[in-house]
Amino acid sequence: MPYLGSEDVVKELKKALCNPHIQADRLRYRNVIQRVIRYMTQGLDMSGVFMEMVKASATVDIVQKKLVYLYMCTYAPLKPDLALLAINTLCKDCSDPNPMVRGLALRSMCSLRMPGVQEYIQQPILNGLRDKASYVRRVAVLGCAKMHNLHGDSEVDGALVNELYSLLRDQDPIVVVNCLRSLEEILKQEGGVVINKPIAHHLLNRMSKLDQWGQAEVLNFLLRYQPRSEEELFDILNLLDSFLKSSSPGVVMGATKLFLILAKMFPHVQTDVLVRVKGPLLAACSSESRELCFVALCHVRQILHSLPGHFSSHYKKFFCSYSEPHYIKLQKVEVLCELVNDENVQQVLEELRGYCTDVSADFAQAAIFAIGGIARTYTDQCVQILTELLGLRQEHITTVVVQTFRDLVWLCPQCTEAVCQALPGCEENIQDSEGKQALIWLLGVHGERIPNAPYVLEDFVENVKSETFPAVKMELLTALLRLFLSRPAECQDMLGRLLYYCIERPVNSWASDFNTLVPVYGKAHWATISKCQGAERCDPELPKTSSFAASGPLIPEENKERVQELPDSGALMLVPNRQLTADYFEKTWLSLKVAHQQVLPWRGEFHPDTLQMALQVVNIQTIAMSRAGSRPWKAYLSAQDDTGCLFLTELLLEPGNSEMQISVKQNEARTETLNSFISVLETVIGTIEEIKS
Amino acid sequence: MSASAVFILDVKGKVFCEYFKELEEESIRDNFVIVYELLDELMDFGFPQTTDSKILQEYITQQSNKLETGKSRVPPTVTNAVSWRSEGIKYKKNEVFIDVIESVNLLVNANGSVLLSEIVGTIKLKVFLSGMPELRLGLNDRVLFELTGLSGSKNKSVELEDVKFHQCVRLSRFDNDRTISFIPPDGDFELMSYRLSTQVKPLIWIESVIEKFSHSRVEIMVKAKGQFKKQSVANGVEISVPVPSDADSPRFKTSVGSAKYVPERNVVIWSIKSFPGGKEYLMRAHFGLPSVEKEEVEGRPPIGVKFEIPYFTVSGIQVRYMKIIEKSGYQALPWVRYITQSGDYQLRTS
Repeated sequence: MPYLGSEDVVKELKKALCNPHIQADRLRYRNVIQRVIRYMTQGLDMSGVFMEMVKASATVDIVQKKLVYLYMCTYAPLKPDLALLAINTLCKDCSDPNPMVRGLALRSMCSLRMPGVQEYIQQPILNGLRDKASYVRRVAVLGCAKMHNLHGDSEVDGALVNELYSLLRDQDPIVVVNCLRSLEEILKQEGGVVINKPIAHHLLNRMSKLDQWGQAEVLNFLLRYQPRSEEELFDILNLLDSFLKSSSPGVVMGATKLFLILAKMFPHVQTDVLVRVKGPLLAACSSESRELCFVALCHVRQILHSLPGHFSSHYKKFFCSYSEPHYIKLQKVEVLCELVNDENVQQVLEELRGYCTDVSADFAQAAIFAIGGIARTYTDQCVQILTELLGLRQEHITTVVVQTFRDLVWLCPQCTEAVCQALPGCEENIQDSEGKQALIWLLGVHGERIPNAPYVLEDFVENVKSETFPAVKMELLTALLRLFLSRPAECQDMLGRLLYYCIERPVNSWASDFNTLVPVYGKAHWATISKCQGAERCDPELPKTSSFAASGPLIPEENKERVQELPDSGALMLVPNRQLTADYFEKTWLSLKVAHQQVLPWRGEFHPDTLQMALQVVNIQTIAMSRAGSRPWKAYLSAQDDTGCLFLTELLLEPGNSEMQISVKQNEARTETLNSFISVLETVIGTIEEIKS
Repeated sequence: MSASAVFILDVKGKVFCEYFKELEEESIRDNFVIVYELLDELMDFGFPQTTDSKILQEYITQQSNKLETGKSRVPPTVTNAVSWRSEGIKYKKNEVFIDVIESVNLLVNANGSVLLSEIVGTIKLKVFLSGMPELRLGLNDRVLFELTGLSGSKNKSVELEDVKFHQCVRLSRFDNDRTISFIPPDGDFELMSYRLSTQVKPLIWIESVIEKFSHSRVEIMVKAKGQFKKQSVANGVEISVPVPSDADSPRFKTSVGSAKYVPERNVVIWSIKSFPGGKEYLMRAHFGLPSVEKEEVEGRPPIGVKFEIPYFTVSGIQVRYMKIIEKSGYQALPWVRYITQSGDYQLRTS
């Protein structure tokens, strides 16, 4: 960000940095450097003082060194030529007698992120791997991963990998774990670090020496090791037993996962582990750190899926406290819903009932849905609670209760009677679409048991004109038809009125969509499908070649959908298979002026065939195209819409430019269709770009 | 992995807190050099490295300009096998302070039934010991008593659940014979934590009547009862009672202590400096309500209680001995202090 006056600041700082008086006074010198860093973090371009800063790195003050290195790492990618000058200083520091300085210099050097730095850092890293100070070895080991990252697609250096594997035997625990991390990064393409028997056993023996992060990570790596015999398996489990009691929740979870996976042949061991991990998990659930608490609750839910009732005796731990944030409350409600059993159902329902009247509508609704979930097993109690809630006449409660009822009658038909008795009067407190749909559905399906059902529906029919939600109208039509079959006398008249309204008002396209495939496919998608079918029928004489075949599996499902929706946007309708000859194209192209020109961002390589296929799906034909990888790369496209208007396009990729240049010509000047055509083109190219990255 | 990832954020926060006392935007801005130095050591390439604030403090210091530069070396702990203690520590007077702190979490329903009551205990140590001492801590742990056949005697014992130790404790020995043996880090640290979910009588019991007469007034009556031993005294008791946000003109009457209206939190805080066990106190409060009611509905916040009872543990846990062995053979004194305090102590109101 170019700030106003940044040049003056740079000039002033430069002067200060060069001032020998300031340089002599360590505190003042460091203060100036701090100011440079402060401006840098605020977004001012401080690269102008690079040389002065490099000089400032030659100091015995380690804090000053750190600051200068931070500065270098920030500006090295922007000023690679200047940064090369800094490398000398860094290299010298890599052989400083102080290991802190060696480590710091090596770490900074590996973070320079500028092209060509690899050749300079390779030797210091190799030296660092054999350094006698473990601090430097730690840095060097991770430096290997950074170096590999800088290379990008480079070959894996076998010697380095071997060196790292041998460093797994290092006596410093962090070096060991860093080796694993580094190898994992370098060997990502080949499936990561290989854990064979000697490595696995070595790691297992070192486990207790590692810090908690190391332990958690090693446990994760050990998942890759498959013990040869049952005896070995149980030896491993015995060794790891104490980690189930670790004070770090990450380690406990890691150990649990390992136990569950290793012992998959021994269900009783798995159950035993889950029983033992219960305590730590419950402790984490009431942890002070909200985020940790949330993660623990998610794990509890996961366990409940395989061991329902596992936490049932601890249900009180999952009661919500007033001050807890929302996301924890919602998780707790879910957990409560899943651990209900005969003993605690009374208390849990009592507690959930309290939540239903919470100030937060979201939380209240979640609690009601939870009661609905419990109702599948304990129907009577829950229906009673839900019925009482209707008495509160609160809009946000009533709508959710009615939705819960709808789902419940499906699953537990025995509660239909109770639900039907509770329903009358609800309609006054429902405003939203979901709630109305649920109520209308219930009235339609069970209308014969609800005396006033026709009259409630009649109100809806009366107000159908002002009804804003099409889904509600659809539901109403279905429900009324159903009710007509069971109570014809009361419904005949209004069904007639509703049908009349539906047919007479074709503006309301919802009625014309009724009983078509629109509700299944979605409107835009269906329009495309039916149009395509139409086109196919209209042009039987045209050979049905690549155009339709192209909509096959070449393009991933979601993208295909996007592409197919395109013709629907605007009034543009491109005609398929209007293949122009190259000669005709050239003649037309030369005779026309460019109607539109723009550039789109475009990075890296791609396969022209993919682009061609994608363009064909939207009925844009490719006339000619350069070979993949050639620079400049060009493509000529043509398309014709249903009115006969031609669109000729040139795509151009200049070498070294990360943009695609698009020029479009049109044989009839019509901006509207031109714009739609360009948006189609943009989306296709955007999609290809997405697939690519 | 997710648990680890979340945990590191928490740890970073804690490390910063230990450096700056409190973690705020201001303190980060003022100390950006140290923040940068810390982040540099905490994580490398996204992987956690040295996260123990004790060790970090040895080579990243607040007044770093005082550092004798040029001589600075890697502190031995960064390379040490016992990563939590450096060698060559010396004290004139060798002492260990042991704090046994139990916090009580309580959740009581509006109708007075206890929903949740648990004790979270921690044993914190403050170690001023020279050299590499070997410590052994003895507790009245029920499992240990059963192991040694002491359970039949009149010794009171406690069954600890979900015990967690600092990484310095040798877990294998604890598993074998329940001995807590360790080489401690220097200075403050948390040796162990435990949890008891055995139901205990709520230490301070609150009965409340909050009567709201719409458009005119709210009347609050709170009765607090100390349900612990008569010899003990709860200090700094603070009972916060929720009031509607549009309440005005407060009036209070208390049998002991003082009450204060805190409008920004919508509570009345009744503070009692010392509250002996077995006593019962009363507070009445009266608020006016505006005649025009505001539209939004309010939640029903619970009554919260804060207190601290020294020389007392709810669970009855006791330190039976603390043995300190160092090869130089010095004598060291252990000091023990017990405190019970309120944790998340809430009583719902109707």
